[in-house]
Amino acid sequence: MEKRKFENKNRYIISIIIGTFIFLLIFAISYSISYFELQRVSNLQVGVGYDIFKDKLDYSLFNAPICDEESFDKISQDLSFQGRIIDDLEKKLGKQNGDVLLRKQFYALIEMEHFEFIKELNQKCGKKVDTIFFFYSNNDSELKESEEAGRILGVVYSRNENLIIYSFDVDLASNLVDKLENRYNITETPMIVINEKTKVGVNNILEIERHLS
Amino acid sequence: MEIITVIVYLSIYLGLFATTFYILSFISYSKKERKLYTDKELPAVSVIIPAYNEEETIAKTMKSILKSDYPDFEIIIVDDGSLDNTLKIAKKFENEKIRVFHKENGGKGSALNFGLKLAKGKIIFTMDADTTVNPKSMKNMVRFFGDKQVMSVSPAIIIDKPRNILQRVQYMEYLLGLFLRKAFASLKSIYITPGAFSAYRKSFFDRFGDYDVGNPTEDLEMALRIQYRGYYTENCPEAPAYTTAPATFRELMIQRRRWYFGFLKNLWDYRKIIRTKYGDLGTFVIPVALISILFSVIVVVYMFFRAIFEVRDSLIFYQSVNFDFSSLFNINLYVIERALFLFFSKPVVLFILFFMAILGFYMHYASRKIGKLSGLFINLILFYIFFAILFGFWWTISIFYTIFSKKIRWR
Repeated sequence: MEKRKFENKNRYIISIIIGTFIFLLIFAISYSISYFELQRVSNLQVGVGYDIFKDKLDYSLFNAPICDEESFDKISQDLSFQGRIIDDLEKKLGKQNGDVLLRKQFYALIEMEHFEFIKELNQKCGKKVDTIFFFYSNNDSELKESEEAGRILGVVYSRNENLIIYSFDVDLASNLVDKLENRYNITETPMIVINEKTKVGVNNILEIERHLS
Repeated sequence: MEIITVIVYLSIYLGLFATTFYILSFISYSKKERKLYTDKELPAVSVIIPAYNEEETIAKTMKSILKSDYPDFEIIIVDDGSLDNTLKIAKKFENEKIRVFHKENGGKGSALNFGLKLAKGKIIFTMDADTTVNPKSMKNMVRFFGDKQVMSVSPAIIIDKPRNILQRVQYMEYLLGLFLRKAFASLKSIYITPGAFSAYRKSFFDRFGDYDVGNPTEDLEMALRIQYRGYYTENCPEAPAYTTAPATFRELMIQRRRWYFGFLKNLWDYRKIIRTKYGDLGTFVIPVALISILFSVIVVVYMFFRAIFEVRDSLIFYQSVNFDFSSLFNINLYVIERALFLFFSKPVVLFILFFMAILGFYMHYASRKIGKLSGLFINLILFYIFFAILFGFWWTISIFYTIFSKKIRWR
């Protein structure tokens, strides 16, 4: 049999070039979507920080009422959403991504500010909102355990309406988070502190719920 | 990075490369000039219809082929030892143009060989007894034999009136085949001729032998033999042929197991075809098909079991903590935004969407070729949902059969 000719050898080269271009383009689009979301979280953080700050000043300077359910729900929802998205972005863009780290640091500050706000709400408005500080680590050796703990806390959160969980990455370069760790003597992760009093590991849902008001 | 991730991205990259190559080949097809028979040059044709227990469909098949506008053709019906009324029904059509024969059951290959010995035409059509054709199909197909290198011509096989989910999935699969077949034709690399309806040059049988009796896919063997001998198969999308698709999972599994086992067996027999001497076919088309099969089996099987284990683990976990499942329906805008973000920021999802868009392109081509497609949207959705899983499953079973050399027969 005669050797059969290729129909068009250049077509292979053109196909590789186009195929590679589409391959890279789709990765670029995927990363762009992550960065758009980062931008959105960044704007949201500024918004939440502003709202909490404004409400607190309004109350302390002008004795404005702060017991409005609507603003509390909105701020808390925004906060919870940010935490989850930052977590997702960290997985997508990497733990060492500078933008994500900055968002995490800012998020930790907003969490603390929010916590202070909740304390005031509990005191001034007679609310009984429970708080949990969740200290976790994303180091490879502790990642799986921390994720499992996060999952258990997710269930606790879904079962208890008046509960807010604040998550802190102990490896985050943040003085305030370090101080918080020292205050509660956190030496291992994952660990939770319920209502600023009880420090327990994250193993048993019923045990955690026993400490809620 | 996990090995499975590497395999997934390698298969995506290969898919992009191959898809681009086939689209370019598809486009270049229409630019080529072809040697076609004019109406006056059309040679005599013999249509061989092997039949085994086809009493429900054979009359319809006969009526359809008799409506053909082809000027000179004979029909040879070979009843392959049917246990029902196939022979009796076929005999009703018998005249000088239609000859009906009965033989002991020996399989499709033996029935076709029986018909070949009696055929007088220069072109042989093989046709399943549950297939119907468009009146213009034969003429359109035979024109391609104007090129002396063309030894067979394949039509546009379409599933007739798909009803259930399995048939609808097959309907879409066959439509996609229309596009690929044309791209392969552009590369002179068609290596499958449909058993339901195909045309062959009689002289090829005379020179290189009849069908391989006992081969589970004798039509595929013939197509590979044509390529192996240095000739090729043309494609005629303007020749619709309608076939009945298996309606149950069991029937479909048996059919696919036979096809895929036959594909592997015949490819092994003609493995010398996989070399640069055979141009695009040996260098690209068949190697890519084999790698795609391997990748899709690995990816589909892995994904399938991973999904099962993940769902199982989650159910066990949530049950163990008395999870309130009604809270799952507590959806707000943030939940939707996060779900969309998680979905669209995954490159694999974007690649899948890209390939789905390519499928849309295929569909556009198919709809232009065969006219209005009823239920196209729902069929496409069903295809997206089920085909990959079915494809991986069929191939896994077939590879198992090939490795352990289980015997598979046409009937």
